Amino acid sequence: MVVIDREVVNWSYPFSAIVGQDELKLALVLVAVNPAIGGVLARGEKGTAKSTAARSLRELLPPLPGGARPAFVTLPLGAAEDMVVGALDFEAAVREGEIRFQPGLLARADRGVLYVDEVNLLDDHLVECVLGAAESGENVVEREGQSFRHAARFILIGTMNPEEGELRPQLLDRFGFAVAVSGETEPGVRVALLRRREEFDAAPEAFCAAHADAEADLAARIGAARDRLHEVRISEHLCGFIAEICSRNHVAGHRADLAISRGAMAFAAWEGRADVTADDILKVAPLALLHRTRAGALDLPPPPEPRDAAGEPASSPEAAADAPPPQEPDSPMAAPPPPGAELQDDVQETGAAFSVRRIERQSLDRVPRIGSGRRARSRSASKQGRYVKSTAARGRGDLALDATIRAAAPFQQARRAAAGPGLAIHIREADIREKVRERRVGSFLLFVVDGSGSMGAQRRMVETKAAILSLLLDAYQKRDTVAMVVFRGRTAEVVLPPTSSVERAAKLLAELPVGGRTPLTAGLGEAAGVLRQALRKDPTLIPLVVVMTDGRANAGFGTQPPHAEALRAAEALRERYPAAQFVVVDTEVPGAVRLGLANKLAAALDGTYFQVADLRAEDLVSIAKEHRP
Amino acid sequence: MMNVYPFVAIVGQEMLKKSLILNVINPGLSGVLIRGDKGTAKSTAVRALADLLPEIAVVDGDPFQSDPADPKTMAPDVRARFAAGEDLPVRRRKVRVVELPISATEDRVVGTLDLERALKEGRKTIEPGLLASAHRGILYVDEVNLLDDHVVDVLLDSAAMGVNTVEREGISFSHAARFTLIGTMNPEEGELRPQLLDRFGLCVHVAGLNTPQERVEVVKRRAAFEENPESFAERWGEETAHLRDAVAAAIRLCPEVRASDEILLSIAERALKLGVDGHRADIVTLKAAKALAAWNGRDAVTLVDVDAAASLALAHRMRRRPFEDVLGPHAA
Repeated sequence: MVVIDREVVNWSYPFSAIVGQDELKLALVLVAVNPAIGGVLARGEKGTAKSTAARSLRELLPPLPGGARPAFVTLPLGAAEDMVVGALDFEAAVREGEIRFQPGLLARADRGVLYVDEVNLLDDHLVECVLGAAESGENVVEREGQSFRHAARFILIGTMNPEEGELRPQLLDRFGFAVAVSGETEPGVRVALLRRREEFDAAPEAFCAAHADAEADLAARIGAARDRLHEVRISEHLCGFIAEICSRNHVAGHRADLAISRGAMAFAAWEGRADVTADDILKVAPLALLHRTRAGALDLPPPPEPRDAAGEPASSPEAAADAPPPQEPDSPMAAPPPPGAELQDDVQETGAAFSVRRIERQSLDRVPRIGSGRRARSRSASKQGRYVKSTAARGRGDLALDATIRAAAPFQQARRAAAGPGLAIHIREADIREKVRERRVGSFLLFVVDGSGSMGAQRRMVETKAAILSLLLDAYQKRDTVAMVVFRGRTAEVVLPPTSSVERAAKLLAELPVGGRTPLTAGLGEAAGVLRQALRKDPTLIPLVVVMTDGRANAGFGTQPPHAEALRAAEALRERYPAAQFVVVDTEVPGAVRLGLANKLAAALDGTYFQVADLRAEDLVSIAKEHRP
Repeated sequence: MMNVYPFVAIVGQEMLKKSLILNVINPGLSGVLIRGDKGTAKSTAVRALADLLPEIAVVDGDPFQSDPADPKTMAPDVRARFAAGEDLPVRRRKVRVVELPISATEDRVVGTLDLERALKEGRKTIEPGLLASAHRGILYVDEVNLLDDHVVDVLLDSAAMGVNTVEREGISFSHAARFTLIGTMNPEEGELRPQLLDRFGLCVHVAGLNTPQERVEVVKRRAAFEENPESFAERWGEETAHLRDAVAAAIRLCPEVRASDEILLSIAERALKLGVDGHRADIVTLKAAKALAAWNGRDAVTLVDVDAAASLALAHRMRRRPFEDVLGPHAA
């Protein structure tokens, strides 16, 4: 029997000894007082005590009824879905022949804290399981005709670094509070922080002992606030004030209203009061709005006039000062042209990047792939991913317990008679089933870029570079490999062989000149060469070929008109590499007389056609206050 | 025992050697990232380091390298034995360098459960992974930038918490996994994710040697080593012994080293001036400066130590977003 143990403990840094990060600490204290707020998302750069603060909260939570300590469960990024939501207990199945549910991390976190570091890197389906349970307070598992449900009321704390990709807005919205954290900018504060850390590292036990009183006080205050919470009242007109704040900031849905009112009540309880004031609301509103409003400053209205004698004075200079300065509007796409722009070899700068919509088609073949990423859905060749079904085919060692037991079930009587008593279930080699999993993998993006003189006209290259850069940023977050072919003058050239250094691609892009004729056929030919090599290295690859051109081929190899030749080459490319997906981005200036050549190219490639402007994702929600000092 | 090229016989690459030694002096520095071209003695230096490492006490026969003096971080069954008052068998051995191959699967890294056997025999057995072997030692990843994302996630989880947790197939198991992470990479082949980058305490850039004399010396020594490793090691034996003693002395001195407020302020100001992310940079710079002072036989940090430490600890932490070179600091 394995000793199951979750309590390998390190000395954890005490909450009360954390220097600075007041907003994060406030958010954590408030969810500890009122878990109904719905969790905290700490967003920000690395090394800013996000994790330290979250972990140290553990010591401050009031004990459960009966005196037990609340659980603090960390969800590792590598966790399999079974372990998060729960699974069949196979020891019970094998030894006692009983179908029993073995609870997962969500069950363990009940009435405690569930902590997810780097929540934006977690597989989407796991994030959904976790957030779903956090919101409904229960976990429901439907597995192969078995249905289990159990309470899962936990405080969800997540951290993320937005550089590594955003959470989808629907998922962001489910966090009650979000806090943007950044490093301290006062040298004095940094020194204080260093000293504390130094003391802690030198003698963690003594350090914790020295802060034990402060920790106990804090825990007592949280406990008292939690006890007082049910007495706290919020007046009708302040509810109206909350609604006004939310509508002014164009918040979709009502989760923000709830988070603000629950947060304000928790804050009042924390301050030892039974009545919520307008100031309480202004204090917590930014926590609830950060991740729910469009980019730009929060618009916090002045507090309403008090309606009764007990009301608080109606001004809040502090909250007003907390509001971030308005952000500058996006810089226009085209900056003034540099001197010498009309020269033949013209290096145009890169326009502002934007977030791109999905350009690939979903294709789900049955080829398992290794590696990981966030673009294409694929069968998984490792033990990562979502369990979609089972198979009798062996090879990955990823055993599917439920299916194996089902396969063995019909033979049990006969086998028991033959083997005598022993295990409750007799499993033979032939019963073994493995899991088939699905996951997202990174893709291979091949850019085929038109660098001809026509791309320089009306600064089209600025926009084209912006589009490529945006696709590169997207590729970075989805962990794609990229390569780039440029065609101009008489030839095409592989300027960037396949690499996962998307940054190198971006640097190259900045230096990319335009000028000369448009040898589109040569460009497609080089693309074929890159595809051949990449597919030889990994035959399971689904390459995504992005051709950026206006399609005006005017340099060819043979006797045919260059444009017709290019279309023939495109058809040949498509036939030769059926696994590849093609996207043509038309760089022709909108409004001008359109020749529609790129559209024909897209048809020949059986690819998707976009104009540059179509690449933009509809920007539903972005982050209001990702301020950096 | 395989023959290892002696650390002291490596020509040049002083920064690389220094950063490795500092990590031996204070494992709390949590590692080095070595960036540079192929064939620049990166791997040789890391493997040679094994020879300089101090000895530690481990519970004999425990695959999780439990420290007999620290019940808090013991593996569960060892702790149970400790709690029952058993006299644990202790073995002294050198700190280990465990290599994590790029092709390693997640199972191999975190450890796994032999489920098929468990099903047929009704018993769960855990196969400890590389993280268990690397506990209290050095985990070496050649070409760390090519590691699969899932393995990187696992490394980040354990590096952040000092604990490795296996959560799968009806089993939940944790053990302490604190290791010094040493990685090499060639930046041409892709960058590291910022979180992983930040987990490396120090970062050095290595390049090929410049002077013809040095290059000739490299070839000569290498040839001599390959011809007769034993006599080569013997030839460098005295220097190796010196270095080992110096490292041992620095390890003893390091906890005594003090840094004045002026030093701390200078560290904070540097970090602010360079615009590093977060506070880990400050913490690591201080630790490295202390290890340097100890290495130089002093019990107080000087500004010279801070200079040298900052050059190792800050460069890879300067605040930059992906593509900042191209976008400028405020875009995206």
